[in-house]
Amino acid sequence: MSSRRWRESSRTNISEEQITQLLSTLRQLLPEIPHSHSHKASSAAKVLKQTCNYIKTLHREVDDLSDRLSQLLATIDADSAEAAIIRSLLI
Amino acid sequence: MRSPFSLKQEFLKKWILGLQRCRSSKKNMSIFKRKKVIKLSADVAMASARKGTTCWSRALIADAVKEGNADKHLAEKILGPASERQPTEKVPVGAMAYNKRIRSKKILKRSSVIRRTIKCAPQAARPSSIVKTLVGKRRQILRSLIPGGEFMNGVSLIEETLDYIISLRAQVDVMRSLASASKLVNLN
Repeated sequence: MSSRRWRESSRTNISEEQITQLLSTLRQLLPEIPHSHSHKASSAAKVLKQTCNYIKTLHREVDDLSDRLSQLLATIDADSAEAAIIRSLLI
Repeated sequence: MRSPFSLKQEFLKKWILGLQRCRSSKKNMSIFKRKKVIKLSADVAMASARKGTTCWSRALIADAVKEGNADKHLAEKILGPASERQPTEKVPVGAMAYNKRIRSKKILKRSSVIRRTIKCAPQAARPSSIVKTLVGKRRQILRSLIPGGEFMNGVSLIEETLDYIISLRAQVDVMRSLASASKLVNLN
């Protein structure tokens, strides 16, 4: 299917651009590190490394928060005041 | 870009629903079990808030109800009756990785008209300077961190990572505010 091959080759040409763009979006999402050499020229590999660390940090936070919540919420009563507070805070 | 606010609302709504579904067995629950319920319902809520549009969310839910998973019943309880689940949960439990890929491809084809297409099947990316950095140990680590990461490659892996990080952040924010609010209420 020649049309498919054409699509695939144009896809790989686009994909390098796409990847650069995605990586820069990713870089913006990551928390700022106050190092002297963290200017925009950080390599893709570094961004990936920071991404992996960040995801691990977030996983750990979720775990810690679940621990805390399991202690704080003696009964998981979803109609309780806390849920109402949060809902009103988020709206 | 989806608004982070509505994502948090969606997550909270689904999380509370999941917690409510486990409420009946709440009476003498150990703190360990309670933590598992909270964490699992939070993860499932985060995934279903994406309504099946991303690969990681489908993989997370599929893993939760997989045959042989210790918390399978808990996950099924949280997800609720089959009629209320997203269509993507129909991925056969215990399916081989290959079948899963084909399934997601079919579902993607169906939804590509309406939703943004995020390719789930691995693409043959010709090695270029940047794509080369995605090969190797770092990519392996990233894939192991994201649910369903083993099926993703190249561009889709990064797109999924972005979405996953955004969802994780929303999840952490909501959980944190619930924890601080609970602390305030308990102090009274």
